[in-house]
Order: sequence, then C-alpha cells, then structure tokens
Amino acid sequence: MKPSVASLYQAVEIAQDIPPLLIGERSNTNGSKKFRDCLLAEDFDGCLRIGLDQEVQGAQILDLCSAYAGRDETADLTRLVKLYAESVKIPIMIDSTTPNCIEACLKLYPGRCIINSINMEDGGKTLDKVCRLAKKYGAAVVALTINVKGMAMTADEKVETARQIYEQAVGKHGLRPQDILFDPLTFTIGAGDQSLLDAAIQTLEGIRRIKQELPGVFTVLGLSNISFGLPPAARKILNSVFLHEAVEQGLDAAIIDPGKILPLAQISEEDRTFCFDLIYNRGQDKEKSPLMRFIDHFAERVEVDEADESQVKRPEEELHQKIVRGDKDGIEDVLAVLLDRYPPLEIVNQILVPAMRHVGELFGKGELLLPFVLQSAEAMKKSVAWLEPHMLKVDQEEGTKVLLATVQGDVHDIGKNLVDILLSNNGYKVFNIGIKVPAETIIAKARELKVDIIGLSGLLVKSAIVMQESLPQYREAGLTMPILLGGAALTSEFVATSCVPNYDAPVVYCADAFAGLKALKEYEAGTLKATVAAPKNGQPRMKPGVKDVSIDRNHPVPEPPFLGLRHVTDIDPAKLFPYVNEQALFRGRWGYRRTASTTAEEYVELTRTKVMPLYEGLKQRALAEGLLQPKAAYGYFRCYSEGDTVFVEAGDEVMAFDFPRQSSPPHLCIADYYRSRDEGGDVAAFFVVTIGDQIAVETKRLFEADAYHDYLMLHGFSVEVTDALAEYWHEVMRRELGIAAEKPADMTGYVTQGYQGSRYGFGYPACPDLDAHKMLFKLLEPEAIGVTLTETMEMVPEVSTSAIIAHHPQAKYFAV
Amino acid sequence: MRYICANCGYTYDPALGDPMNDIPPGTAFADLPDNWVCPLCYADKSNFDPLD
Repeated sequence: MKPSVASLYQAVEIAQDIPPLLIGERSNTNGSKKFRDCLLAEDFDGCLRIGLDQEVQGAQILDLCSAYAGRDETADLTRLVKLYAESVKIPIMIDSTTPNCIEACLKLYPGRCIINSINMEDGGKTLDKVCRLAKKYGAAVVALTINVKGMAMTADEKVETARQIYEQAVGKHGLRPQDILFDPLTFTIGAGDQSLLDAAIQTLEGIRRIKQELPGVFTVLGLSNISFGLPPAARKILNSVFLHEAVEQGLDAAIIDPGKILPLAQISEEDRTFCFDLIYNRGQDKEKSPLMRFIDHFAERVEVDEADESQVKRPEEELHQKIVRGDKDGIEDVLAVLLDRYPPLEIVNQILVPAMRHVGELFGKGELLLPFVLQSAEAMKKSVAWLEPHMLKVDQEEGTKVLLATVQGDVHDIGKNLVDILLSNNGYKVFNIGIKVPAETIIAKARELKVDIIGLSGLLVKSAIVMQESLPQYREAGLTMPILLGGAALTSEFVATSCVPNYDAPVVYCADAFAGLKALKEYEAGTLKATVAAPKNGQPRMKPGVKDVSIDRNHPVPEPPFLGLRHVTDIDPAKLFPYVNEQALFRGRWGYRRTASTTAEEYVELTRTKVMPLYEGLKQRALAEGLLQPKAAYGYFRCYSEGDTVFVEAGDEVMAFDFPRQSSPPHLCIADYYRSRDEGGDVAAFFVVTIGDQIAVETKRLFEADAYHDYLMLHGFSVEVTDALAEYWHEVMRRELGIAAEKPADMTGYVTQGYQGSRYGFGYPACPDLDAHKMLFKLLEPEAIGVTLTETMEMVPEVSTSAIIAHHPQAKYFAV
Repeated sequence: MRYICANCGYTYDPALGDPMNDIPPGTAFADLPDNWVCPLCYADKSNFDPLD
C-alpha cells in the first residue's frame, strides 16, 4: 500500500499522482485572523466552517492549530479535532509543538494523521517525545530543519539537519522514512532582506538533495512565507510559480491556502519571468534589483476575492455572526431572507437574543471589550427596528418590563444608559425616565407602566444615601417589584445591610450593567434574591496614604497674584489635550482594556490602529465643531485654619469650610495644610471649571440616536477633557502663585502629583461632602461661566469640576 | 510584571512596591492582598491591566 494518511471517511496518498498534496493552512490561529477571531469568540462552528471551505476549495489535508497565548491549547485543539474528525471528510494535520497536547489529539482522532512538527532546536528532547507518540499512534510527522544553532539557511545546513533528524526518528525511534515529511523552511524574498536574496534557491536545492540523499522520505513546504511582505495579488502569483518550481525539485506536499494557488498555465509568460528573476535572484547587476522590478511590474494588480466566504454561510448563522461582531452593514438583507422563513418574533427570540447573550458571555469572560459590546447592541437595535413593522403589536409589548432612573439630585446617566442599552437589546422592555428623578415620580411611573422591576442608578455618595432613605417610601407606597441598585458609591455590603431591610421585595446590588442583565435573567427564572453581605473573608479595603504626620508649620506662604475671584472664558481648548490622561480614557472610560487573551504587543497594536485614531478623530471633531468651551471661575483668598476648619475671608464675610478628619492614623484633614491665625494665616485657592454644555448636548443626541458606541466614546472623552482642564488650570494657578518650579515631565508625573501641593475635589475622598459647594459658589460665582447646582449640590453641566488648592508641599491625596 | 490602573493610570511596579499601602519592594502584583487598592484612586485590583 502506498504511504497514506486517513480520516474516518477516506485515505489520502501522500505522493499524489499530480503533486503536490495540498494541505490547507487557514485553520490556524497564527495564520488566519478569521480563524483566530472565531476561536477567541468561542465560535467553534465558525472554526469548522473555515475547514469546510478549504475542503471545497481543494485542500486534501487540513492543518489545524489552536496555539494562542492565554488560551488552553489542549482544550481548544481537542475540541476542534473532534469537530473536524466528524464533519470534515479529509484527514487533518495536528499543528502543535506540545507533546501532551499532541497526544491528547492523537488519542481522539479516528484515523491516521500528521503531526506538525518536530525539530532539533532543543537538541532532540521534544523530538524524542513526539517521535515516541508518532510511533505509538502510527502518525506521520513534519520535521523542520531547525537545529541547536537555529534555522537552517543554506542547502547544506538544511540537508545536514534533516540527516540528524532522520537518524533520531528512523534510527532511534523506528519510524519509517515514509513517515517523515521534511520541511526545509521557506524564507521571504519579498521584503528586501539582503541576507535572503538566495533563500528561495537554497530551499529548492534543499528539497532536491533531501529527496536524493534520504531515500523514501517526503518533503513539504509552508509555501506562502516566500512572498511575505508583498501585496496580495503579487503574492498569489509568486506563490504559484514558486510552488511549481519546488514540485520540479521533488516537493511532495505544500501547506497553502488552496483558494489562492493558480495553475501555471494561467500565469502569463511575462509574469513568470519576473517571478523567476526574483526566485533565482537573476539580474542583480541591473539598475533595479529583481525585487524592485517585481514590485513595479505587479504594482497595479488588485486581488479579486472571488471566494467570499460569507456566501456559503446559512442566513441564521450570518445574522448571529453579524450581531456578535457588531456588523450592521447589509443586516437588512439577511433579515429579509430570514423573514421569508420565520415569523419576526421568532427571529428575535431564536437568533437575535441568543446572539446578544453570547456577546454578554464573551464580555464576562474578558474576551470582548465594552466598545465592541456596544457595536453588537447597535446591530441588534437596527435589526429589531427593521423587524418591528412586521410584528404584531402584542408581540412588541411582550417581555419583562423594567423602569430605569437616576435618583434625585444626581445628573449622571452614563451607567443607567449602559444598562438601558444592554437590557433593551436583550429583549427586555425598558422605560428610561431620566436623571434627577424624585422617588414620588418613580413610584407613580412604576404603577402606571406596570413594570416588573425597577433599576435605580446614581454615581454620588449622596445618591447611595438617597436610595437607602427612599426605600421605605417605596414600601409604604405598596410596591412589590424587586429593585436593582447600581452606582459607583455602592457596595454589596452597603446594599445588604442598609438597603435590603428597608423594602420587602428583593433589593439587589448590581456592580455593572452586565450584573443587571444577570439579575433580569434570575428574575425570569424565579431565582432573584436580595443581596446578602459577603462573608467577611478579608480585611476591609486598605486605606492608602502618606504615613508622615508631622506637617511643617513654617513653610512660606506664597503671595497670590490677586485676591478675590476672576472668570476666564477664553481658554484655548487645544491646550487641554496634553493634559488628558490617555490611560484612564482608553482603559477606564472607553473599556479598551487588555484582556487575558491579549498580549502586550497586540494591545499596542489595538491602541495604535483603533484607539488612537478614534481619539485623534474626536479631538479634531471637538475643535472643529466647537464642542469644547473651557471656562474657569477661580480665586485666591486670605484664610486661616482652626482645628478641622478653614476660615476663608471674602471681603467682609468669613466662610467656614469644615473638612472631615481621618478616623484612623495618620488622622489627616485638609485644614492641616493651612496655617492658623497664630501662625500668620495662609492663602486658600479655589476653582470651578467646565468644558461647557455643548459637548453634553451632543453626547445626549448620540444616545438618543442609538449610536451607542460613539455615545460611550464621546462621553468618556468629555469626562477626561474635563479632568484635563482641572489639571491645566491647577498648573496655571501654581504658576500664578510662583510654586510651579517642579513641572511634571509627562502624564505619569501628573497622575502621581509630581508638583507642589495638591487639589482636593469636592465630592472626592478627602472631602466627600458636596455641601461645601454652597459656599464655594458664593465665593466664585461660577453661574457666570454657566455652572449651576442641583438641589443635592451637584454641578451642572456634568462636565464641570471644582477644587480647593493647597500649596503646602506635604499636601497630597488621601481619603477620610 | 507591571500593572496599570485602568481608572487613573497609576502603574504598580513590583520593583518599587507601594509605600502608600506599606507594600515592600519585590512584591509581585499577584501577591498583593485582595483588599489592596490603587494608592491614588482607590480602585480595587480588578481594575488593573497587565502592562508588560
């Protein structure tokens, strides 16, 4: 019998009558972005489809590789091997260098496969293990000509390394020559590397000599490396010509994309000549190198992608994938096809909603980032909007009803709106009644709309108190639906101990929008329970801060440039960008975080290709459209401290700013950084800054237009530019005070307060109480720059921030 | 390996430790206690991304 490999269904001879044997390369995480994306999305059906497509295109064996940093290679590859063994007719090649993973796959595979690959890089230790497995399971092996010195470059080295491997594999482990496919390595001749000018010649010579000197063995090449660095259309032609030349020298098999190989007859004589010149390094003496001549000749060629893979997809799967990938383009066409086959409600419930749940799961596993989830939600929204006219009215009203509101006094709605986006695009009926909503209104609306669940949101510490204190009101009003609580100042402990007892139905803490979605699912399953305090398994959260408690009382007080208040309305917005904390913006606000499955290099690439262009675009747009109108109300005032109070002199009036003191060591209080009257008094500086209402208006418009992704991006941008304005203005004031000698070199320097003094934002950890805003607004009259206060002392527009500035060098952040 | 706070951009460098939280130099991020928080913005460990 001729040497063959086999699947459950068929045997394939390695030496084909018309060589080479075609081994499909695309089911490979390192070779195909599409395959990798499918795998990372846990879309194993998608991974299988890539294999089936290659079979249709003429592959006779499929290389299968799942190695990817951060993933469990063995778990992925065994799952894929099982799937391929059942559904693909042709045999597979297990592409792994991990002996344990290889063995797990060999055990599962119901046929004779090829192992890709072994080499002598570590002197033969791994080779020994893999050869034993090949012998035990009767597999063939691909052997790369790599030895302890590295990759064999010359024909001599290639043959010598092949001989070493042959001695081990055949001589020591008892494999037959016909069990080995030597790969003498292909290097690119398309990148202009001077040391690789004759690389193709060495490889072709290597093939010829290996076949000659080691009778009975086979040869194989990872072909497409030859043209790496060239444009796709030129690659296809060069690959095809090189393959032809390699076969002439005795090549038995090639690992390629079977859809991207042309028969030589289809390549013109002229095209071939340019390929031959490059492959055989001919005419180096001419004015232009063979590579330059090749590039010039093929410069105008454009790859026509005739094998568009979406054509073979079922419409159900295509819709599913479009949702998972957040691809809105042409989604109506797919929906129209499906609408011929299913009632609209079934499309929603059987395809769209499960696809969104899958998206939520991927986010939960850290495999999908928030911005991409929002793109999926946009595709979902567009689909449902397209289907709605075809649906019965009663269908549209189906589903669990949720009321969402940001509580009284709080203007922050990004969290609530993210919950809205996620829930409404997972099949729930959401009534989002806005911000600053009093409990009375929430109760009335909940009754009127007959909702099943209420979700309350709020960013501020104050909002947590509002939630806690309004719950008895909900109880007295006779409401019986569960209430979900979310917000930055909440913890599960606070909800369990301070909120749950105030209401009879479950009160549930939701850490983020996805926790809200989970709570809704539990509600439907009848398993939703009130939050219980987590068992005290650890200590309370640490309280970081300076340990040095002796504050220098003699530090000189700087001379302020003026006393009283000033308003500045002509700040150049472009000056703020260097002060933007890009890390906080990209990772924190936008959710472009580095997930477990991403390497440092891939994250850099994501930042460079996706995030930075987005950011640059937003900056330009903000300037061009006048979205940023930075203004400042600020001032310097004589003051003195007394205990925990800073007394601020404003004209005839003296205002007492009371600051809290840490209850545990080192017992710091903001007042400590100001001199007492006996010590000669001090200077207090304050500011209120805003980037204006315009950007908030545009942000709101995006949300209402269901442009979820752009909404999150612009909102995050506006928040961080506001912080940049605070950073910038703080520096302006340090300069005016003459204490700006230490100027941080970069953003990290600002983050770590590498400057003299500190600024403490009202509502932040060192002075959480917003009530001080009442006095601050008297001092600075920021109404003149368009900033006002809500009844709970929060500033409007949201893109405003306030601070008291301490000049004392020991003043740094701390939390009370 | 260094880790960065997604909320504020502070970098935890094991070579430096974190004096604000009494963490000695040479402490790997994984070995920081669960109740450790960012010394600048108080975000918990789940807000940190690997940097290197």
